Amino acid sequence: MDGVTDRLDRWADPPLLVLASLADEPKHGYAITQDVAETMGVRLSAGTLYAVIARLEARGLIEPLESDDRRRPYRITMAGAEALAQQSERMSKVASVARERLSTRLGWAGA
Amino acid sequence: MSSPLARAALALYPPSWRARYGVEVLALLDDSGGGPAAVASLAWHALPAWFYPPRHLHDRPARMRASLATALMSWSMLAGLGLVFAQLTQLQGLAPAAIPQIPWAYAVFDVALAASALIAGLGGLPLWLLMLRRAWREQRTRDTVYLLLPVIAPVTYLAGLIVTARLAGGASGVSQGWFGVMTLAGFAAAATAAAGPGLALRRLQPRGPALRLAATAAGASAVVMAVAAVAIVIAVTSLDLWARQFAGYHDGTLSGIYLALVVATATVTMVSATRGTRAALAQP
Repeated sequence: MDGVTDRLDRWADPPLLVLASLADEPKHGYAITQDVAETMGVRLSAGTLYAVIARLEARGLIEPLESDDRRRPYRITMAGAEALAQQSERMSKVASVARERLSTRLGWAGA
Repeated sequence: MSSPLARAALALYPPSWRARYGVEVLALLDDSGGGPAAVASLAWHALPAWFYPPRHLHDRPARMRASLATALMSWSMLAGLGLVFAQLTQLQGLAPAAIPQIPWAYAVFDVALAASALIAGLGGLPLWLLMLRRAWREQRTRDTVYLLLPVIAPVTYLAGLIVTARLAGGASGVSQGWFGVMTLAGFAAAATAAAGPGLALRRLQPRGPALRLAATAAGASAVVMAVAAVAIVIAVTSLDLWARQFAGYHDGTLSGIYLALVVATATVTMVSATRGTRAALAQP
C-alpha cells in the first residue's frame, strides 16, 4: 500500500467498521478486531475499539450481552442497524458514482 | 495475565470507564498479544475519555455531590484567605490614595465575597434543609451533627475569639503570636464547617432538584468568588510593588506564598464547581 492509498484508508470510519462487523452476529472485542482486519483490511487497536464501543453504546447503537467470561459480547441494536443501513446506502452511492466516472475516464471496469 | 504497562495505561482512564470496560480491554490485549504500540494507543485514548466521558457511564448525582463537597471545602479556605487579606490590609487602613486600584480592589473584594456567600447560601439552603429533615426523621444523629457543623463551628470559633481577645488583648489588640493562633483556629473552624455537609452528602446521597440547584449555585458562587480572588491578587501585588511604606510588615516571600494559596484554592473551587454545574445542567 503506497503512502497516498494508506492515507485514504484512514477515511474508514471505525464506528462504521464495528457496526458492520456486528451486523451478522454478536461478537466480543477480540472477535471484532479479527473480523474487521480479515474482511475489511483495517486493524483496530484496543484503545480505538473501546473508545468506539463506549460511544456506540452511549448512543444506543450497540448493546452488551451478559457474559461470565472476561470477554463480553456486543450486538447491534435496531437503531444501530438502521444507522448502518443508511450509511451503507450513502457509501454505495459514492462507490457507484466513483466506479462510473472512473470507467468513463480510464476505462476501468472495477472489481 | 496483562502486563504492568497495560494496567498502567488503563489506570489513566476515568474510574467509571475502567469499571465498565477495564476487564474487557485487558482481555483483548491478552488475546491479541498487545505490544508497546497497542498499549501506547490505549494510553492515548484515555485523554478523550476524560474530556468526553460516555453519557451512559455518567452518574450525575454522584458527580454533583462530589463536586459540591470539594467546592465547599475549597471555597471555605478561599474565604478564610480573603478574611486574612481584609484583616491585614483594608481593616488596617492601608489604602494609599495615589494608587486607586487598591481601594477599588478592596471594594470589589467586599462585594464579591458577600455576593458569593449569599449565592452559595441561598442555593444550598433547600438541600441542607432537606438533608437535615431526613437525618432528623431517621434519627441519624451523626448526620444531624455533620449538617449542623456549619453553624456550630463558626459560633464556637467566634466565642473563642471574643474570649481570647479579652484575655490576651492589650491596648493595641492581640500580639502577632495570638493573631497567628487565632488565624489557624479560624481555618480549622472553616474546614470543620465545610467538612460536615460534605460528609453528610456522601452518607445521605441526596438526589433531585435541590441537589441540582445547589450544584448550579456553587458554580455561580465560584465565578463570583474568582472575582474576589482577582481583587486580592491586584491589591496585594499593588501594595507590595508601590506602597511598601503602607505595608511595612509585609514580606515579599510571605505575600508570594499567600498569593499562590489564593490562586490554588480559587482554581480548585472553579474546577470543582464547574464540573458539578455541568452535571447539573446536562441533559438527562
